[in-house]
Amino acid sequence: MKRAVGLALALCLLSIGSARAADTIKIGLLAPMTGSWASEGQEMKKNVELLASELNAKGGLLGKQVEVIVGDDGGDPRTASLAAQRLSTQGVVAVIGTYGSAVTEATQNIFDEASIIQVANGSTSVRLTEKGLKYFFRTCPRDDEQGRVAAATLEKMKAAKVALLHDNSAYSKGLADEIRGILKTKKINVVFFDALTPKEQDYSTILTQLKAAGPDVVFFTGYYPEAGLLLKQKKRMGWNVPFLGGDAINNPDLVKIAGKDAAEGFQFLSPPVPKDLDTPEAKAYLTSYTKKYNETPGSIYGVLAGDGFRVVAKAIAETKSTDADKLREYLTTRLKDFPGLTGKISFNAKGDRLGELYRVYNVEKTGDFVLRK
Amino acid sequence: MEHFFQQLTNGLAVGGIYALIALGYTMVYGVMKLINFAHGDLFTYGAYLGMTLLTSFFLQDRLGVVAGMLILAVMVMGLVALIGAVLERAVYRPLRESHRLSAVVSALGASIFLQNALMLIYGARVHVYPEDLLPQATVNVLGLEVPLMRIVVVLASVVMMALLYLFVQKTKIGTAIRAAAIDQGAARLMGIDVNRVILLVFLIGPALGGAAGLLVGLYYGQVSFTMGWLYGMKAFTAAILGGIGNIPGAMVGGLLLGVIEALGAAYLSLAWKDALSFLVLIFILIVRPTGLLGERVADKV
Amino acid sequence: MSRGLLVSYAVLTLVLAGAPLVLDAYWVDVLNSVGLYALLALSLNIILGDAGLFNMGHAAFYAVGAYTTAILNTRLGLPTLWALPVSGLVAALFAALVARPVIHLRGDYLLIVTIGLGEIVRIALVNDVFGLTGGANGLFGIARPTLFGLKIRRPHEFFYLIWVFVALTVFLFHRLEQSRFGRALNYLREDPVAAEGSGVNTARYKLLAFALGAAWAGMAGNLYAAKMTIISPESFSFWESVLLFLIVILGGSGSIPGVILGAFLVVGLPELFRGFASARMLVFGLVMMVLMVFRTQGLLPLRTVRFKKSDLQRAQARP
Repeated sequence: MKRAVGLALALCLLSIGSARAADTIKIGLLAPMTGSWASEGQEMKKNVELLASELNAKGGLLGKQVEVIVGDDGGDPRTASLAAQRLSTQGVVAVIGTYGSAVTEATQNIFDEASIIQVANGSTSVRLTEKGLKYFFRTCPRDDEQGRVAAATLEKMKAAKVALLHDNSAYSKGLADEIRGILKTKKINVVFFDALTPKEQDYSTILTQLKAAGPDVVFFTGYYPEAGLLLKQKKRMGWNVPFLGGDAINNPDLVKIAGKDAAEGFQFLSPPVPKDLDTPEAKAYLTSYTKKYNETPGSIYGVLAGDGFRVVAKAIAETKSTDADKLREYLTTRLKDFPGLTGKISFNAKGDRLGELYRVYNVEKTGDFVLRK
Repeated sequence: MEHFFQQLTNGLAVGGIYALIALGYTMVYGVMKLINFAHGDLFTYGAYLGMTLLTSFFLQDRLGVVAGMLILAVMVMGLVALIGAVLERAVYRPLRESHRLSAVVSALGASIFLQNALMLIYGARVHVYPEDLLPQATVNVLGLEVPLMRIVVVLASVVMMALLYLFVQKTKIGTAIRAAAIDQGAARLMGIDVNRVILLVFLIGPALGGAAGLLVGLYYGQVSFTMGWLYGMKAFTAAILGGIGNIPGAMVGGLLLGVIEALGAAYLSLAWKDALSFLVLIFILIVRPTGLLGERVADKV
Repeated sequence: MSRGLLVSYAVLTLVLAGAPLVLDAYWVDVLNSVGLYALLALSLNIILGDAGLFNMGHAAFYAVGAYTTAILNTRLGLPTLWALPVSGLVAALFAALVARPVIHLRGDYLLIVTIGLGEIVRIALVNDVFGLTGGANGLFGIARPTLFGLKIRRPHEFFYLIWVFVALTVFLFHRLEQSRFGRALNYLREDPVAAEGSGVNTARYKLLAFALGAAWAGMAGNLYAAKMTIISPESFSFWESVLLFLIVILGGSGSIPGVILGAFLVVGLPELFRGFASARMLVFGLVMMVLMVFRTQGLLPLRTVRFKKSDLQRAQARP
């Protein structure tokens, strides 16, 4: 029991120690640094830290250096709410992140109540911006937009029978539901709608079921590791059906997992990656990223986190203020067609990014992702 | 009907891997009465070590596929066995006399530690084996095209099971293992060095887990630092299903679990697949409280 | 209760009561998390520590409570705090129902069965069972609780709600420990055969332990739902059950102060290690192993009552 008291006292002391004077502009990054989505979180950190160091080399913001404070959300809502609470007491002006929709949702109220701007980078669930929260933005598009693009792509392929496969996560199921809803109005038959269990390695059972349903196209709304395995095992089965995927598949590791042969011809939707944008910002970014980390950005969500950082920095520089209301006002009304790393950025009053962002990518024989015109 | 057989072979292939991991689980449990939650992570280490050795020594190019793979397997098994032995010596041995649950928690700690150590060494990204080292041939079994490697996986687990069974039943050391499984105190009185028996078990169990990891890496090509958790849970379920501590039981449990999953997914529901296999497990345990074949390492010597 | 323990409780109560005055919202929220986990672990302690039943699926009961609250509040508009007893009751009924057929299983078999039950519940939630649970999205828009006209929303306000409930639980569970029920459970844990022989209806007491533990977990679920306002299946994963299991064993199985200390440790420690970023779980695992090796009985083990020779003589002296 004495120990418990000691621990409680230690907790008190620590919290006193953590309150320091503000001589930098602090920007929080809420990201899954541990847990199942650790790879995404680490990508996010790389992108944001690179941009922050570049900004600081140019003199920072408002004459101060920018400090990035990383909070680990562990990929689960409870850890995330604690991490958010911690960030909000560390004097951050804005928070970038986070990745999963359910995780972001657990943090939204905390930042809103603390009047901190939050720019999510991977949370595509529709309802996040439908709650009327003042300070919430996102650089990623929404699932309903992706659903529309997906349905249009399927229509273009003249598919009559479509199989929809998701992984029962909030994002994946949500997207699959969106697509199913739209397809109903277009008289395209959904002959298969079910979930796989993520993180398994043998999907031959599911592929056998899929094949028996006889679809013209299979649309998988899950993540790249499963997509890679599906493609590889489909190829081994000798089944030649076109596969389509959503934006969680845009990761170069897909081709490594599936192998070039099996990945060839696979198509997926995604916001454009920096290498496919002609803007000087995107090109310069690609160069400096490659120089610093010796690889190209792996995940589109890491880049979208970078865009979140850039819009926040822009807003602070333009308004010469770190006041959340002024920043919000700037982002919703005055920021127009800001040249982002993933295309032009403007926000509507809800905090959603404007404009059609999704493109269709095709995996080539060489294993490269090529934007389809 | 072809659909049924196709799903049956799908299930058997996965079940073979469960069985292989379950063998190690059961081996350790039989003697130590310890649920080694770190076993799944030792499996992952097998997969990662295999990948690293493969990409640094290129055994398959120097020695040919079959010899190269066998030597690779020996190396991986040796290394993982070493990790297992260190674990036993450092973490489990001090807890041998204390309450069972302390050892369970310690094993969970070891699992968390090993998993995160792997993440820090290799990074959190998914890793990939060099492409297609194994023959992609298929074999025609009763009119069904079955990939050769699937048959190899199932055969490998059957052979390992048989070897292990013979070792435990027929050799002198095996007798010592069984004696220690029944009563460590009495075994000690009979002049058996129980410490050495347990160390041996902790070499064999992890080595089998490592071999399974290598096989999974080679066959599926993709490894992630968290993969051991799911496989470990499945193997544990399989071991319990067959009767934990029972070597043929692990085999039966593993194959059965794979088949239940595949057929459940095919004929009932994909999304409810895992819930279904747990339901079957619970039902079997209600009817047969010590698993299908019962606990049996503790046979009469 | 010994005097030392009473003094410790008094000191802890004083420190905690004053804590929100000096701590910022983050550390108060960490303490809230500790409090919730202390509640959950105390409830598991009845099953695992007192009755000695290996339950590694406790998150299922927690989930049932949280979802009961969420459904009652969002669909029927029942105030969140009113749903507290209902959540406990539903979780207890659920536990009694599912534990009934498996209660006779021994040790490790019960462990895997409870893991299985936890997973089945989680999968059912993900698959939107009966169209009530909202699938992977979970349920959102749960109302904040109101107490005496005061709306509880900030961490400081939740702090008192949660910790008063913890204090109440500690008091009740200490009383329970000394009751006929508590003693029966202890016999059961030490020697089920002897317990049966001395007239303890083992199956009934085991089931009661499950139901009572589940009821408390269900009420903790209510508080969690009220605090988060959104719940989703991933908050009730297998890992949550493992965490609760750890708290009980690391703290000292069967010992109420031990379990509370365990909650401070298991929930607080990773927060203290936040500075280590990616390595914090590595350190956590290491600490677990080291602790178990050096304190196998947990940090504050249950002290069994030992009788001295003088006690015996005194008893004999009595007519």
